[in-house]
Amino acid sequence: MGCLLAWCSNIIYFSGLSLCGEGSCSICVHARSRCVAMVDHLPNLGREAIMLKEIGFSSIDELFSDIPEGVRRDSPLNLPPPQTEEEILADARRLLGANVAINSRPNFLGAGLYENFVPSMVVAMATRGEFLTSYTPYQPEVSQGMLQALWEFQTMVSELVALPVSNVSMYDASTAAAEALNCAVRVHNKKATQKNVVYVTEWLPEHRLSVIENYSCGAETEIRTLKWDENGMVDLKSAESAHGSCAVYVEQPNPFGVIDENLAELKQIIGENTALVVGVNATSLGLLEAPGNWGADIVVAEGQPFGIGPTAGGPIYGIYACTEKYLRQMPGRIVGKTFDDKGKDAFTLTLSTREQHIRRHKATSNICSNETLIALMGGIHMALLGPMGIQKLALRNAAACQVTMAGILAHPKIDLLFTNGASYNEFTVVLPGPAKDALDHLDKLGVTAGLALCDVMSGADESWLHITATDQTNSEDVAALVDGLGNWIEGLGQSKEMVNHE
Amino acid sequence: MSDLFAFDGAPEAGYAQPAPLLSDEEAIAGIPESIRRKSLPRWPRASEPELVRHYTWLSRRNFGIDTGFYPLGSCTMKHNPRVNEKIVQMATMNDLHPLAPTSHLQGLMAIFYEMQEMLAHCAGMDTVTLQPVAGAQGEFAAIRCIQEYHRSNGEGSRDKVIVPDSAHGTNPASAAMCGYQIIEIPSGDDGRLDLEALKAVVGDDTAAMMVTNPSTLGIFEPEIAEATEIVHNAGGQMYYDGANFNAILGKTSPGLMGFDAVHYNLHKTFSQPHGGGGPGSGPIGVKSHLAQFLPKPLVVREKDEQGLDGWSYGWEDPVNSIGKVQQWHGNSGAVVRAWAFYRRYGRDLEKMSEHAVLNANYLRHRILNPSEELASKIPAMPIDGAPARVVKHEFTLSMSPVKDATGVSGKDVAKRLLDYGYMAPTLYFPMIVPECLMVEPTETESKEVLDKFAEDFLTILTEDPELVKTAPHTTDVSRVDEVWAARNLVLRHSLGE
Repeated sequence: MGCLLAWCSNIIYFSGLSLCGEGSCSICVHARSRCVAMVDHLPNLGREAIMLKEIGFSSIDELFSDIPEGVRRDSPLNLPPPQTEEEILADARRLLGANVAINSRPNFLGAGLYENFVPSMVVAMATRGEFLTSYTPYQPEVSQGMLQALWEFQTMVSELVALPVSNVSMYDASTAAAEALNCAVRVHNKKATQKNVVYVTEWLPEHRLSVIENYSCGAETEIRTLKWDENGMVDLKSAESAHGSCAVYVEQPNPFGVIDENLAELKQIIGENTALVVGVNATSLGLLEAPGNWGADIVVAEGQPFGIGPTAGGPIYGIYACTEKYLRQMPGRIVGKTFDDKGKDAFTLTLSTREQHIRRHKATSNICSNETLIALMGGIHMALLGPMGIQKLALRNAAACQVTMAGILAHPKIDLLFTNGASYNEFTVVLPGPAKDALDHLDKLGVTAGLALCDVMSGADESWLHITATDQTNSEDVAALVDGLGNWIEGLGQSKEMVNHE
Repeated sequence: MSDLFAFDGAPEAGYAQPAPLLSDEEAIAGIPESIRRKSLPRWPRASEPELVRHYTWLSRRNFGIDTGFYPLGSCTMKHNPRVNEKIVQMATMNDLHPLAPTSHLQGLMAIFYEMQEMLAHCAGMDTVTLQPVAGAQGEFAAIRCIQEYHRSNGEGSRDKVIVPDSAHGTNPASAAMCGYQIIEIPSGDDGRLDLEALKAVVGDDTAAMMVTNPSTLGIFEPEIAEATEIVHNAGGQMYYDGANFNAILGKTSPGLMGFDAVHYNLHKTFSQPHGGGGPGSGPIGVKSHLAQFLPKPLVVREKDEQGLDGWSYGWEDPVNSIGKVQQWHGNSGAVVRAWAFYRRYGRDLEKMSEHAVLNANYLRHRILNPSEELASKIPAMPIDGAPARVVKHEFTLSMSPVKDATGVSGKDVAKRLLDYGYMAPTLYFPMIVPECLMVEPTETESKEVLDKFAEDFLTILTEDPELVKTAPHTTDVSRVDEVWAARNLVLRHSLGE
């Protein structure tokens, strides 16, 4: 019974020996149970002494003897005890079970990240271990599968947006937009009459604008604002001001959900020496003309609706496509087709001379890890949809948007913020009271009614409610939203009356 | 070859969807004809069974940790526990919206909070944000915080960031994206930080120094505290690249070494699967003087009897936040996987580092000390990239003697290893080691695998040089022509055009 000290358990479970010689004292038993939590991860647990001896060391501590005493930790980590898989899973179920999944109730929250349905086969294929547990395909000879899948992804994105070049993913739509503007500055700054200047449309949400601002630090790019007309479309008269700048960034539909009909003309106005960067709703392209066909030079998008659920905001992936003019200045990884030395078709990463591991501080971007696996999921989803499938998906989104809008606008006290244009996937209404109050009220009724734009958009009125309807929205959801909003507005009237009485 | 674009089946082939809520005409009623799509993307027309077979075929032409030993230095390719995948596929994780009311996200936020605290504790930092979605983005975000810190002190004129020549390429690239001028300092002859070289460049224009420790050579920098002091005395900030954090957990910390900011690679140290290039996750931790600049928002909590385990969680914006670097709250799925991973070890996380370091030293010894029988057949042996009695989680080999003796390059050996069923080590990095192979076995490889790898590696050195120079021979394709790819740039399928 010499085994009484806390350190004993440490020695036991990494030497695999029972110091007390019996193996039955409580601490040894405890040590074993702790050991169990890791034994399914560490194949050499309990064999340390043998391995150390073989290489001429007497203890694990000796392997850390190169860490100077002055910087060594003098106490163990103050963390909870190890857990087995079963215990972790139970905790995960309990904790995550406290969340409310958006699809467990009527949901109208989107704004760039959408409730969607991902066919079962997508995850089943993408999480095959050979894909899931591979690194960046630096060794093409044993990575043909991922490389080909990504090259096919590039082709499908290229077809979707009608531009010849696509990379294998950015982190999300916002970093894709930000890096697109940086790319445009590198390409156009020399000839630009407005040096280091880009324009972005007004009313960008903070989660876009702030990312663009942070990413613009390196080139010290000045970000100016392009105005809209009264319909929420780019004001073509003031667009002249962007002529001679490096780039103009617009969104289609705009952040309020309005489809902008002026963009082809916008490209005519700004001309060849200013990049038109379009942030597009990816599923809308089953219905709306591909941006490459009306003048877009770089197209960025949130890829999430293809491939993965909203997953609390990540991992998702940004789509990045462009014309050949921008190819050598674009960020991210690209796959090219080539041959092996016997003449057989093969794929490999290419144009890596743009990248940080070769060019270091002169790289076109610092991006290294990206969102490849999620792009793979997106590619599988796109392949399964096919041409008719993407059209139908867009039609479902468009129909849900129309039905929801019609239901809500039937209420006399709710108006559209922009009344003239068409909308896709989402739209914005002006409520007779604060949108946050409406959201709280409907939340209690079990409806997630959308987004109070003042939460994410500087200058937005507190009465503006952003509503998203997707292919997952059904008539019952719409009825619940309409009823709930009606109920809330009724309550508003009553509380006003009460105030008047007082 | 299975060609995705050769699938051209029934016109409606593909995923069957429920009917829209309106007729097609009604659905598009408001959209002007002029902006409607004229021709659909030429995506394949394939059924599920055809695509399952296609992607299964592709997967079998791809090498992952599940396939075999993956000693890719600097990448920490450890086993990815499958329970983590199961957890993130739960509806109450997969179907969450980051802008939902906080009452819908309490469980996620509890995990976020625990991860913020755990990561801060392990690194000796005060505050952690989980927002950056990759190591490089973590570097960028942290250097932006440092930039704002200097500006807030009226020292915005500090315009240089120092990096050792052994640094990862992302370090100089990230600092340059913040607008900094990069000063690269040479390593000493032993591959370690050269304090004299540092002293020669440090000054009142120094904004920060970025250091990886253990370095990319797998060596712990013995004079790290001195380096930190030199930079701090000049008014600069110290940034810790956490790519090699797997080596030191529970043994030391960036905080103890004097660093002001650090990024973690959850896809390395905490086993987020790397997925062929991502997703990753690159949280950053900072000391208190930088916390007010962190990206927003952070998770905070207060006591609440009605709350989850007695707590109520909320978002809070740091007062002088740089804003956002990612659209939402980071790669939540990666954070949750990392949480499930860390829970396995808990307070014994140092065992993970001990085994990573044990395996690296063991493999290094096995490779550099062949049996007499093998040694007699090897014309020339590789040498240590950096001489040291012990390494940490990885080590480097210079293949120069082999190349000089037989003409077989580091790349040739790397390609030949593929024939033996291994992923190749990291090749030609760090650049300061000639003909470098960087080997990182991780803690999840058994002694038997390490023994066999060492034996196979040494056997390759005994093989006919021509056989090695023309390797690989047994892979799906033989050596790929990367030059042709870069010259011809075939970046998509022609679809018959």
